[in-house]
Amino acid sequence: MIDFADVAMRLFENMYYLVSVILFVIGFHTMLTHSNLIKKVIGMNIMDTAIFLFFVSTGYVQGGVAPIIEPGVEQAYINPLPTALILTGIVVAVSVTAFALSLVVKIYEHYGTLDAEEIMRIRSTES
Amino acid sequence: MEDLIVRMVSRIVVPFIQVYGFYVILHGHLTPGGSFSGGAILGSSMILFALAFNLERGAKKLSHETSTIVECAGAGWFAILGLVGIYMGQNFLTNKEAGFYMGAPGDLVSSGAIVLITLGLGLKVASTVVTLFYSLIEVEGDAHD
Amino acid sequence: MTFINVIHAHSTVLLIVSFLLFSFLMPILERWKNSWCATMAVAAHVLAFVFIGNLSWRVFTEGTIHYELGGWSPPWGIEFVVDYLALFMLITISTVSFLILIFGTVDLTHELKPKVLGLYYTLYLLLVGAMMGLAVTNDFFNMFVFMEIAAISACGIISVKSDRECVEASFKYLMLSAVGTGCVLLSVALLYMIGGHLNFAFAAAAIQDVAHIYPNNILVALALFSVGFIVKAALFPLHVWLPDAPSSAPSPSSAILSGLVIKIYTVVYLKLLYKVFPIELFDLLPVFDMILILSALSIFFGSIFAIVQEDIKRMLAFSSIAQIGYVFLGIGLANSTGLTGGLLHIFNHAMMKSMLFLSAGAIIYCTGIRKIDDLKGIGLKMPVVMGAFTIGAMAMVGIPTTNGFISKLYLALGTLDANKHFYLAIILISSFLNCLYYFPIVINAFFGESEEEDGEEEIQVKKLPLRMSVPLIILGAGCMIFGIFPKYILVIIERAVEMIL
Repeated sequence: MIDFADVAMRLFENMYYLVSVILFVIGFHTMLTHSNLIKKVIGMNIMDTAIFLFFVSTGYVQGGVAPIIEPGVEQAYINPLPTALILTGIVVAVSVTAFALSLVVKIYEHYGTLDAEEIMRIRSTES
Repeated sequence: MEDLIVRMVSRIVVPFIQVYGFYVILHGHLTPGGSFSGGAILGSSMILFALAFNLERGAKKLSHETSTIVECAGAGWFAILGLVGIYMGQNFLTNKEAGFYMGAPGDLVSSGAIVLITLGLGLKVASTVVTLFYSLIEVEGDAHD
Repeated sequence: MTFINVIHAHSTVLLIVSFLLFSFLMPILERWKNSWCATMAVAAHVLAFVFIGNLSWRVFTEGTIHYELGGWSPPWGIEFVVDYLALFMLITISTVSFLILIFGTVDLTHELKPKVLGLYYTLYLLLVGAMMGLAVTNDFFNMFVFMEIAAISACGIISVKSDRECVEASFKYLMLSAVGTGCVLLSVALLYMIGGHLNFAFAAAAIQDVAHIYPNNILVALALFSVGFIVKAALFPLHVWLPDAPSSAPSPSSAILSGLVIKIYTVVYLKLLYKVFPIELFDLLPVFDMILILSALSIFFGSIFAIVQEDIKRMLAFSSIAQIGYVFLGIGLANSTGLTGGLLHIFNHAMMKSMLFLSAGAIIYCTGIRKIDDLKGIGLKMPVVMGAFTIGAMAMVGIPTTNGFISKLYLALGTLDANKHFYLAIILISSFLNCLYYFPIVINAFFGESEEEDGEEEIQVKKLPLRMSVPLIILGAGCMIFGIFPKYILVIIERAVEMIL
């Protein structure tokens, strides 16, 4: 017998993980099912953001503050490593997004549409 | 965009944004932020300038060519700073043992190679943002011809 | 402190940094002396040969090399490890990419606009550097960053021609590789959550300790890693990006994509499976059986799809999907013979597939023909190119005295060792299927008659430049030499397998 109150409590305690998984699925779904190329790029960004949220929340310590150490102050700090890594991850995601958008511009120039299905149709009628 | 208000406001605001960008870059080893955040601020000030005035005047301040060169030089600077460690007989990217000036923690000039790397990468990120902007806008321009 | 001592102590990192530094300096050089870019790229490879020579000498005499970046010891700093497996990949990558580059210095001037030529070499060096980084890195996050560098630069060298097929193929690859790296990063997060380390060795020890407390975390991480690397390596159900990308890109890009880029991910996956995940986990989740099934499907359907293609480069791309299946088959068999076969096939396939793509590129360069049906009677006009193609086709099928035979032999023995005879049948059937789509081209090219005679539609053949024919001859000779004397490469592979298992 599953204790629903207990499950709900545990989900609430791990809210960051729950939310990031939900966001991941939303992004993944958007990326794979929408035929508009810009929406695909947006979906990719949502997915990446979800992963970043997940990674950062692994380093969170209850009640911790940003790890800027001042002499004479004793308090809990969060784990700075995931944050530093995710900064790199964000940079990478930005560059991937920029590259993807520039490709979208090129595709629009060549095909005159942003719809993936329309592009498939144009290509199949050509060849 | 031929709007007087936008032009006047951006003329006033751009220097402050740039100073703030340099502030964030230079304090990268002391406070949150650093090369990426500061570089993005610095780069976006150039984009604001180019958008508020026109592209020609923006390109006169920082042309596409220059920003590409600064971008590559910034990345090369990082690699060269790493090679300094090897030159001093230590491993690649070694900081303190390679003889960089460490200073006292909390000072502006401290932390050895980190502040130099941050400065180089800040300029690199700024020029990357500008280069991306120019590249995208030039592609757009080709399409309408 | 002499120069030789510096190389001796730091060749691991200098290898990767030299590629990155050369590629950063290329756009500056390109504005100033456009014609020097190709020379610079070749120089970077020559420098890499020096470093790799030193590394292999040290690995054979001293054993595994550990290099700590910034002098920070492993749990805190990034660590590069060169063992036999990494050394094997470094040798494969440097040799094949050097030959492709030599070929490309002529071919690219024909295919690309002069404006983007320098930038092409930038991306090429970045890609090679990132692949070498992936081979030697021992750190999760470093691995993620190198994967993204490799993905973006690979997309760049696909889309560099900027005609419509290239751009669309590049976009498709970018999206799918974003899914792949996303999955990999998420699983790194899951492992970091329970292990608290990013270094492979330390993470493995930590995961071993806590595996019984958090089995679900590790299982999900393993699943996500598998999906990520299977997308990247283009195994069957997730291969959709591969056929488009090499068939539309310039020939050197196709050669490096099909020959090297998809291989490096299989090696990283292999490294993770054996080094990081605890062995008890594989009782819980039969991941090796899943890999076997996927590889069998990949071998079979890759060949089937390749038969119906009309475009020669597209056919070769589908054939790559079948061949990557062999590599995964070797991983999935998980015994020493099978793994030797799989790793040997990485090397062999890198040589033969890049040779086939380069000879296809040479045909396109000299005649402009892309359709398989139009290749009739071309063999006598371009003996070198079609000779190389014939050797490649024979190696693909696995005729004895070519290197493809040796790796298929090892894989077949591996299936017998593992007592999985079904996969032996798959290997045999796939060899017949390979015959079915490679040999008609060869036979047509040498013995087929052109339909229009009397020189009405006579194929115009340009003369093949020396810099294009020499790489083809070297690769063809390599295919034969390693088919007759496989022991020179097996020396490294057997030690690598011994170390992994």
